[in-house]
Amino acid sequence: MSRLRRFFGTPEAIAGAAILALLIVMALAAPLLFPGDPQAIAGPALLPPFQDWSLPLGTDRLGRDVLAELFHGARTSLAVGLAAAAAALLIGAVVGTLAGFAGGLIDEVLMRITDAFQTVPSFLLALAFVSIVGPSLGVVVAAIALGAWTGPARVARAEVLSIRERDYVAGARVIGMHPLEIAFHEVLPNALPPVLALSSVIVAAAILTEAALSFLGLGDPNRVTWGGMIAEGRTVLRTAPFLSVVPGIALVLTVLGVYLAGEGVVESTAVRRSLS
Amino acid sequence: MSVLAVSNLAKRYHRGGKPFAAVDDVSFEIGPAETLALAGPSGSGKSTIARLVLRLIEPDAGRIDFEDSDFLALSGAALRARRARIQMVFQDPLAAFNPRATVARVLDDPLRIHGIASRAERPRRIAALLERVGLDAGLAAHAIHEISGGQRQRVAIARAIATRPSLIVLDEAVSALDVSVRGQILELLLDLQRRERIAYLFISHDLGVIRAVAHRVIILDAGRIAESGDARAVVTNPQSAIGKALVAATPKLIRNRP
Repeated sequence: MSRLRRFFGTPEAIAGAAILALLIVMALAAPLLFPGDPQAIAGPALLPPFQDWSLPLGTDRLGRDVLAELFHGARTSLAVGLAAAAAALLIGAVVGTLAGFAGGLIDEVLMRITDAFQTVPSFLLALAFVSIVGPSLGVVVAAIALGAWTGPARVARAEVLSIRERDYVAGARVIGMHPLEIAFHEVLPNALPPVLALSSVIVAAAILTEAALSFLGLGDPNRVTWGGMIAEGRTVLRTAPFLSVVPGIALVLTVLGVYLAGEGVVESTAVRRSLS
Repeated sequence: MSVLAVSNLAKRYHRGGKPFAAVDDVSFEIGPAETLALAGPSGSGKSTIARLVLRLIEPDAGRIDFEDSDFLALSGAALRARRARIQMVFQDPLAAFNPRATVARVLDDPLRIHGIASRAERPRRIAALLERVGLDAGLAAHAIHEISGGQRQRVAIARAIATRPSLIVLDEAVSALDVSVRGQILELLLDLQRRERIAYLFISHDLGVIRAVAHRVIILDAGRIAESGDARAVVTNPQSAIGKALVAATPKLIRNRP
C-alpha cells in the first residue's frame, strides 16, 4: 500500500489519475446517460451550448447531441488507445525477448524488421493500412499497434540482453528447461518493468493517432470519435467553433491525463527499484 | 569407470582483439562419490571449466565424457534430458534464482521438466526435498528473497539433488556464506555424498575448505593445471609456485605462542 501512497504523493499523478477516472466514468456511463444512437438527430441543427438544458453542449450541423457524442467518443478513444497500446506492448515484448535471448541470426533478422518499421513514419503506415484494409475498430487498433511496437521491442531486447547473462538463467538451463520456457517464463517477466514504463506514452500516442485517422475520415464510421467530431466541426469553424473546440479539449485532457498518470506510476516504481 | 572424464579441454576468449586462453589443455577424471577440487587465483579458469563441463559454454577443443558417453555430442532435447544427471550450485544464492520465484516453484521446475513426479505428487516431493536439506517444509510457500542466504543455498542444493544427479558442480558454493553457515552446508554436502554417492566438482579458492572436503585437488594457473594430487598432501606441501602462494595466502590462527 505504500506504493499507492507514493503514487498519490505527487500532484501530477493525482491530476492524471483524476482525469483518467473521469474519462473512465464517462466511457462507462455513456450508454446509461445517453441510451440510443448518439449519431441520431436530437434537435435543431447548430444549437450553441448552454441554450437548451436538454442539450447542454448544443448540437452539430446535423442536429446531433454534442454531449452524447462526447461521452460515446470517450469509449472509442479509450478502447482504441488501450487496445492498441496492449497489442504494441505484447508484440514488442515478444519480438524483443526472442531477439535478445536467441541472439545470432534470429536477432539480426528481427531487429532489421524492427528497423524497417521504425524508418516508416508510423502515422503514414497506419494511414496506408487502414485505407487498404478498410476502416473498422479492429483495423484501426491493428494499424496503430503496427507503428508502435518497435519502441517496446528495443527496450525489451536491451533488458533481455542483460538478464540472459544472470546466474538464474544459467540455472534454468542446468535443470534442463526448454529455451522458449526460459525466454518467456524466466526472462520476460523480469524484463517487463522498463517496457511497461513506455505504456503511457504509447497510449497517449495511440489516442492521438486514432483521432487523426478519424479526422481524415478513416475511423470506424459506425462509431462516434473525437477526431471525427473535430473534422465534422471544421466546416463550420467560423460560425460554430465549439463543435471543434469541445472534442479538442477532451482530447488534450485525455492525453495529458494518461501521460501524467503514467509518469506517476513510473516515478513510484523507480523509487522502489532504486531502493531495493 | 568414471563419472566425468575431461581431456585436453580448451577455451579461448578474445580480449581487446588478442586471443587469450581461459582454459588450456586441461584433463581430469572424477570417480563416483569422489570430490575433486579446482583451486586457483581469480582468472585461473576455474569457473570457465565449470561452465564448460555443464555445457553452458562450448569448448574450442577437447572431449567431455559424462557417465562414459560423449557429453559434447548431445544437443537439443537429448542434452536437456541428460542434464538431470549433472547439476550445479552457484556462488551467489540470491542471483541463482529468478527474483520472482517461490521456493516451491524453484523445486517444482526440475521435477516437472524431467517428469520425475506427477503434478499431484510434487508438493510431497518438494516437502521431502526441503527436509532432506534440513529445511522446514513450510518454507515452500515463501518467496526466494524472503529467506536467509544459508537457507537459499540449501534450497539450491535441494534443486540440484531433485533430479538424482551423479555429479554436482559446486562453483564457490560456500564462499558467499558466513563461517558458521558454511560449516553446516559442507556437512550437508558430505552427508549427501555418503548416502547418495554423488560426485562433486568443488570449485573454491579456499584451501582450508578444500582440505576439509575434497579427496583430490587440481591447482590451476592461467588456465593450465599447475599441480594435482591428494588434497591433504597438496595443501600441506604444495610443489608449484602458485600452490605455495595460495597456501601462504590462507589465513591461519596464530599458533606460535611464546
